[in-house]
Amino acid sequence: MAKYNILMHEMVPEHWLVPVKDEENILKSLGVTKGQLPKIRKSDPVIKALEKMEGEIVPGRIIEIVRKSRTSGIAKIYRTVIGE
Amino acid sequence: MTILAWKDTLKKVKELIDKAPVGYVLDYEVQPDKSIKEALITVTGKTFVAKAKISKIAPYENEKNVLKKKKDRLKTLVMVEKIEEIQDDIVNYEEVSGGSIDKILSFSVLAKKEEAKIEQREPMEEKLSSDVKSLLRQVEKDGEKLPVKIAEKLAEAKKQYKIEGKDFDKLVKATIEKYKETGVDAYEAVGIVGAQSIGEPGTQMTMRTFHFAGVAEMDVTLGLPRLIEIVDARKTPSTPSMTIYMTEKARGDEDRAVALARSIESTTLLDVADIEVNTTESYVLIMLDKQKMLERGLKREEILPRLKKIRMQKTTITEEDDQIKLSLDEPSFKKIYQLYENLKTFQVKGLDGIKRAIVKFDQKAKEWVIYTQGSNLAGVLELKDVDFARTKTNDIIEISQVLGVEAAREAIIEESTSTLHNAGLNTDIRHLMLVADMMTFTGVVEAIGRHGISGKKASVLARAAFEITSKHLLNAGLIGEVDRLNGVAENIIVGQPITLGTGAVKLSYRREE
Repeated sequence: MAKYNILMHEMVPEHWLVPVKDEENILKSLGVTKGQLPKIRKSDPVIKALEKMEGEIVPGRIIEIVRKSRTSGIAKIYRTVIGE
Repeated sequence: MTILAWKDTLKKVKELIDKAPVGYVLDYEVQPDKSIKEALITVTGKTFVAKAKISKIAPYENEKNVLKKKKDRLKTLVMVEKIEEIQDDIVNYEEVSGGSIDKILSFSVLAKKEEAKIEQREPMEEKLSSDVKSLLRQVEKDGEKLPVKIAEKLAEAKKQYKIEGKDFDKLVKATIEKYKETGVDAYEAVGIVGAQSIGEPGTQMTMRTFHFAGVAEMDVTLGLPRLIEIVDARKTPSTPSMTIYMTEKARGDEDRAVALARSIESTTLLDVADIEVNTTESYVLIMLDKQKMLERGLKREEILPRLKKIRMQKTTITEEDDQIKLSLDEPSFKKIYQLYENLKTFQVKGLDGIKRAIVKFDQKAKEWVIYTQGSNLAGVLELKDVDFARTKTNDIIEISQVLGVEAAREAIIEESTSTLHNAGLNTDIRHLMLVADMMTFTGVVEAIGRHGISGKKASVLARAAFEITSKHLLNAGLIGEVDRLNGVAENIIVGQPITLGTGAVKLSYRREE
């Protein structure tokens, strides 16, 4: 790993690993299935950084992304972790 | 901590484990160094398989009862006290001399890589004021939604105009009502509206490449070519460029900025020296140009150790004043030219890919900023004095590799809005956000168009309607594809109402049994 913490970079929004027990609620409120959410690869640098804190993140987990939005202030979106 | 490392066979490693403590002879010269107490051995070049405690490093003088790495050309003796099997990644180490060890190492002095502590940022939601937080909570309790930005405005209005109690509740209710009205209706064709909103101003854009504002020596692609480049998700932009910010301590200091800029500019040997080949006596003469070296901030002492790393031929290096002579041990016409070719592109300083670095003073922020031609994000972020959190590149693919998809999405929005704004055009950011969201949907940056999103549509007819009609229809016929007629394009082709707006509603009658 590198000498820097990429989670601190201005362009990287907040990434949070969603606890398995909360997944169902989130999907229900959005009215979608896991497969319909946008994806994030397991090999993504941010997932690798999260793995340093949370242990291994298996494909199928949901990541909550809190973006600084230009239109709505703060925007929360979700991505499903996929392999590769 | 510095560590010795070398590549060996599994058999030798086993032998070492059996016989330790024992002397071991390496085929490379190692300077005796008391601080080196450990050695790592790799077999595959990918992971280290054994860690050894070493007590002595000395030149080899035909001692007996020692193990040898090779039969001849042995140079250094190390005393192995203890050795044990381990599993450690080579990636976690770096070469002490400053190089990287992406190549399989045969011998090297390494240091454990410094690693930043990975931790989360303070959540943005926590930073909101208590008024806004309580307002949002109240709205959520009523089963409604309100964006943070609007909630902030409401809280501000409450303070400014002293709206209290029931009046404020009324205001909130009316705001929510209005907010809902402004939303996009279900089955509205946002993609098409977005495409038109970007396409129309696009017709007014220039086809020319402009010069970078203020820095005449640097070209940056702007206008329509740049916009096309962004949506095409090109591997490398035609004019990659970085903006490097410096840490708080260094940003006011011109000397440090210049020094940093000089140290990242990639300099080849040919940039600072003339190279001559003598084929009859089989040597290469490097004549260093003092003036050019001064400009690049390069010292003669820095070049020599790097030169020793060219180990492709057996050469002897002699130096006098500003001339370095590399002569082949065995004269060969072919090899001397090979060496010459290698030397011409030999990088003596800097980071790969960065062609130029220019230091500029930002009047507004009162700090020194470095602009570069060429981009190497991963390399620059590692450097001292660099404020890594703000440093940026315009290479979107590189951002996705170093900082992830979400950062790439951010970069697509940022780059496309600034391109449009530079041309004096105002496109609503929502359209560009939609484009960025679509491009990063699968977790990697994908192009819009034939090779990206449009080429991966589920419907054959939609793909055929876009580009290369016959190819898609032929392929679909060959493998027997089914088209469910869910999208817009395919329904227009067959002459049905499209699944948009009122056409999206389907009525079906279920007969009572």
